Amino acid sequence: MAAALSGPLRPELAQAVSQARVLVVGAGGIGCELLKNLVLTGFSSIYVIDLDTIDVSNLNRQFLFQKKHVGRSKSQVAKESVLQFCPEANIIAYHDSIMNPDYNVEFFRQFTLVMNALDNRAARNHVNRMCLAADIPLIESGTAGYLGQVTVIKKGVTECYECQPKPTQKTFPGCTIRNTPSEPIHCIVWAKYLFNQLFGEEDADQEVSPDRADPEAAWEPAEAEARALASNEDGEIKRVSTKEWAKSTGYDPVKLFTKLFKDDIRYLLTMDKLWRKRKPPVPLDWAEVQKQEQNIPDQQNESSAVLKDQQVLNVRSYADLFSKSVKTLSLHLAEKADGEALIWDKDDPSAMDFVTAAANLRMHVFGMNMKSRFDIKSMAGNIIPAIATTNAVIAGLIVLEGLKILSGKIDQCRTIFLNKQPNPRKKLLVPCALDPPNPNCYVCASKPEVTVKLNTHKVTVLTLQDKILKEKFAMVAPDVQIEDGKGTILISSEEGETEANNHRKLSDFGIRNGTRLQADDFLQDYTLLINVLHSEDLEKDVEFEVVGDTPERIGPKPSEPTSRNISNGSDDGAQPSTSTAPEQEDVVIVDSEDEGTSSNAEDVESRSRKRKLEKGCECAGAKRSRAEQEQDQDDLMIVESEDEGAASSLGEEESRSHKRKLEEKGCECIRAKSMC
Amino acid sequence: MARPGPKEQRYDRQLRLWGDHGQEALESAHVCVINATATGTEILKNLVLPGIGSFTIVDGNQVSGEDVGNNFFLQKSHIGQNRAQSATELLQELNGDVSGNFVEESPEKLLDNDPSFFNRFNLVVATQLPESTLLRLAEVLWNSNIPLLVCRTYGLVGYMRVVIKEHTVVESHPDNMLEDLRLDKPFPELIEHVQDYDLERMDKKDHSHTPWIVIVAKYLTKWFSEKSEQLPKNYKEKEAFKELIRQGILKNDNGTPEDEENFEEAIKNVNTALNRTEIPRGIEELFNDDCCLKLTEQSSSFWILVRALKEFVANEGQGSLPVRGTIPDMMADSNKFIKLQNVYREKAKKDTAAVGSHAAKLLQSLGKAPESVSERELKLFCSNAAFLHVVRCRSLAEEHSPNSCSRDAIISHMDNPDSEIVLYLMLRAVNRFYKQHGRYPGVYNYQVEDDIGKLKSCLTGFLQEHGLSVAVKDDYVHEFCRYGAAEPHAVAAFMGGAAAQEVIKVITGQFFLQYLQFCKYFGVLPLTGLFCSVLLAN
Ligand SMILES: [Zn+2]
Repeated sequence: MAAALSGPLRPELAQAVSQARVLVVGAGGIGCELLKNLVLTGFSSIYVIDLDTIDVSNLNRQFLFQKKHVGRSKSQVAKESVLQFCPEANIIAYHDSIMNPDYNVEFFRQFTLVMNALDNRAARNHVNRMCLAADIPLIESGTAGYLGQVTVIKKGVTECYECQPKPTQKTFPGCTIRNTPSEPIHCIVWAKYLFNQLFGEEDADQEVSPDRADPEAAWEPAEAEARALASNEDGEIKRVSTKEWAKSTGYDPVKLFTKLFKDDIRYLLTMDKLWRKRKPPVPLDWAEVQKQEQNIPDQQNESSAVLKDQQVLNVRSYADLFSKSVKTLSLHLAEKADGEALIWDKDDPSAMDFVTAAANLRMHVFGMNMKSRFDIKSMAGNIIPAIATTNAVIAGLIVLEGLKILSGKIDQCRTIFLNKQPNPRKKLLVPCALDPPNPNCYVCASKPEVTVKLNTHKVTVLTLQDKILKEKFAMVAPDVQIEDGKGTILISSEEGETEANNHRKLSDFGIRNGTRLQADDFLQDYTLLINVLHSEDLEKDVEFEVVGDTPERIGPKPSEPTSRNISNGSDDGAQPSTSTAPEQEDVVIVDSEDEGTSSNAEDVESRSRKRKLEKGCECAGAKRSRAEQEQDQDDLMIVESEDEGAASSLGEEESRSHKRKLEEKGCECIRAKSMC
Repeated sequence: MARPGPKEQRYDRQLRLWGDHGQEALESAHVCVINATATGTEILKNLVLPGIGSFTIVDGNQVSGEDVGNNFFLQKSHIGQNRAQSATELLQELNGDVSGNFVEESPEKLLDNDPSFFNRFNLVVATQLPESTLLRLAEVLWNSNIPLLVCRTYGLVGYMRVVIKEHTVVESHPDNMLEDLRLDKPFPELIEHVQDYDLERMDKKDHSHTPWIVIVAKYLTKWFSEKSEQLPKNYKEKEAFKELIRQGILKNDNGTPEDEENFEEAIKNVNTALNRTEIPRGIEELFNDDCCLKLTEQSSSFWILVRALKEFVANEGQGSLPVRGTIPDMMADSNKFIKLQNVYREKAKKDTAAVGSHAAKLLQSLGKAPESVSERELKLFCSNAAFLHVVRCRSLAEEHSPNSCSRDAIISHMDNPDSEIVLYLMLRAVNRFYKQHGRYPGVYNYQVEDDIGKLKSCLTGFLQEHGLSVAVKDDYVHEFCRYGAAEPHAVAAFMGGAAAQEVIKVITGQFFLQYLQFCKYFGVLPLTGLFCSVLLAN
């Protein structure tokens, strides 16, 4: 092994390699390649951690896994496979979350180098902090379709992963989802919520029934009761949870269908103010639908099963699919232990069938054109295309950056962007010098500090903990004390100590404009000082704002066109204006799929329009978010720069639908791009 | 029913990039890889995973200890066995859908005894081949019109070059794709459709649900009759045109404008919607290409379709390409949107049929069967008519001849400090070293010092022979000697990804090619990235 290295690697470096202990976080697309590269480069002490298990859709690139491994631990199988090829390799595998407190700063300190091969931002944020706290160099990477990126993070020398603020996840107003969907994505989100309401963990933020508090409908309270009667079952449903009710019917598909696509819709129609400017929905009747012919898949395309997935069927077929998937899922649920729930997974065929059917039926009810299962899967699963070649290129580069670090040449490290397809003058790889740390970074600055604008009379301690500290500031187990001279403990990470505070408002604890809160995360060895800026005029549905942060954008990531993520630079978008132009999350992009300069302007406009839309919709309900945003950015990357729609080429189709306000056009292929 | 099969599940993430027809092309391709080196097997791994139809490895070497050290698909137990066979075994395990084959023979022998052997492949990848063998192979493939991808990992330098006489791309997936709306040259069906709308007499709801394309078309008519005979061109005119549209927004009883998003959309889209419909220069060039003008029985369906397209433009198209037939999403109610969409779609169908009938006539006159161009091919071709792309490379022989070696281009590249052309010159120098000494410089540590001088003289000889008066820093000579022609795995892995990507592009006929590239990681100079140029290929 050493023979191959003695040439290109100087002896000191070869020795540093063999003595290094490295941690690979993630054993997916990049992770598999990386393990192979590390072993064959002479690394002899390799730790790998991954929480995930193997899925069939991994097999087109995660070469350490085979069909027979589906369902097993990625890290474990990756280790076994590497050992099979290279029995002398020394690999320690953990099937676990890197965010588990067992992997504390001490754990991180034992490594010479940490390499991320992750697929989600929460874990990336966390590893970033752990490496800063342990002062261990981190190589961050990601891929999306043909695009890829590698960068190096070193405390005090380079930017950290969080130096440039990334816009937070997008959300939809509750009433758009529940009452007035105008785009397919709204129906898809609704269908995913419905899945959770019926079979999964119920979540109060994921209501699917008509929202009568919709202020846009603003009817007279006196009329409300009369209207409520219009929906014969409504009263009953309100009192018990959707799940309880569904259970009580024995998950009868026809009853569910009737409630969801007929009674609830009729009820919505009684909120007539909603339909003055909109096209009103049309309730569906099970018996009527059954009179329709079932779709026979296009015989012509029998040869390619792929196409079947890409066909749009008729209402009858989706009604049947709904019925079938409800039956299957209720059986799955019945097999679970009491109190256990199903978890939505785009790669679970029944779960995907259910969402395809429910979303399409709702699209039909609201006059949108239905979509194929293939497209719905893209949108619902937030699927980012992934191929072996890009991962191979990136994993090769990771090791080469690692070698530079080990030879003490961190100054020669670069952020490297992998382009999609250079025109003749462009380069395929674009290296950029690493930026120095942002002195105002709320993570790696010497005394991290932020100002958060919120209404102290409205924000509860729980919101502070879950939405602000955990979700926004990526803490895992925060402790919070008020700098009031008394050191009042507001939140304790010890179970049972401060739960009583959860539902009280911040103002109940004397927190007001100018109050300073000290938030600590012991695991991350991270302390953040929060200055409270009290404000009563935040937009509706906005619970807090980080001052100086990029404004939040509404709308789901996957539906944002790719074009936009790409650098806003010059016409041909060749150069990564990256580090300073935060755009799409996780990806990196360099080459432009931009539709010319117009699209940037357009982007801004559509953004503001969306905001306007949200404003207009004065829903009292909380924002919907999170759940549907769990990315599948398989192997995806990240690195500051962009936040927008990691989905690259696949974005095309969705992006368009996003723009469409009133309805959707048929999904037929529009561009030569991606599928069709 | 709509449930995807195991194949679709397995390939789901890539179908989203190249579509099922791209996948079909991949699955019916047979690729030959010469030498199961680390670079060779890494390329293969990245072709086997996405499901290439079949591969054949040609390699006469036996597995050595060094191979096992840098090649994931060779194991200790293989030492002494044939390299092609050993690698095939393990690569095959990655994907049961792929058929793996091997030939235990050196490429030199095959070229001596049976050069036609290579004709059976859709593409040949040559890794780590000595220059003389490479040139022989390249000539055979060039004459048989089979694409060759040269790939080489040399120390920390990677080199890749596509050698292809002609490669035609229908789906180039361009970065900037404007909509094809024909608002500047509305076709009769569109004019008629727009006339059906009477914005003055609509109720409020219909008014605010009228698609923006119709609005812009309406106001263009108004513009032509009131303001100018020309399309709004400059900023000022476009602003005036936007104002004209803005005045069309309905007003409520107080005289304030209603909130009509479709009008806002129309205003926003003015800039791009008024783009002139014209034939892109690249397509004009194809029309004047000899391959288009002089069709023969051997002409590919691509060129027959280009000719049919040209005839369409001259006749039915009245100077324009076929309508693409798609419109963007917009504010509109279903009914209006679908009607408008159908106007474009029907026109596209009609245009496609017209191109098809030109193609049928051409096929007939060439004595070819009408089915030799499928409906699907025709449709794909027409909807991509503005983005067709043809790549033509120089042969390797031409590149290597002192008479035609792009001297000026190399010299001017040497002036650019970012250019990595120097790596190319160094690779040529080590090839010369190999020719003279039967081995690469620095392969034995004890010879490194000696070899520096020898390599230097090879470099000088090469530069003189090719009339290249450029200076190459000694650092490069030292660095290349130190590499000792080693093939570090990380670089091979990188090249495996980049090269397999090019193979997939050639096979699927989608996306632009890379032509030629080098990469260099670190060493004498800080990492500079990857060099890519048509310079030597064209
Ligand atoms: Zn930072």
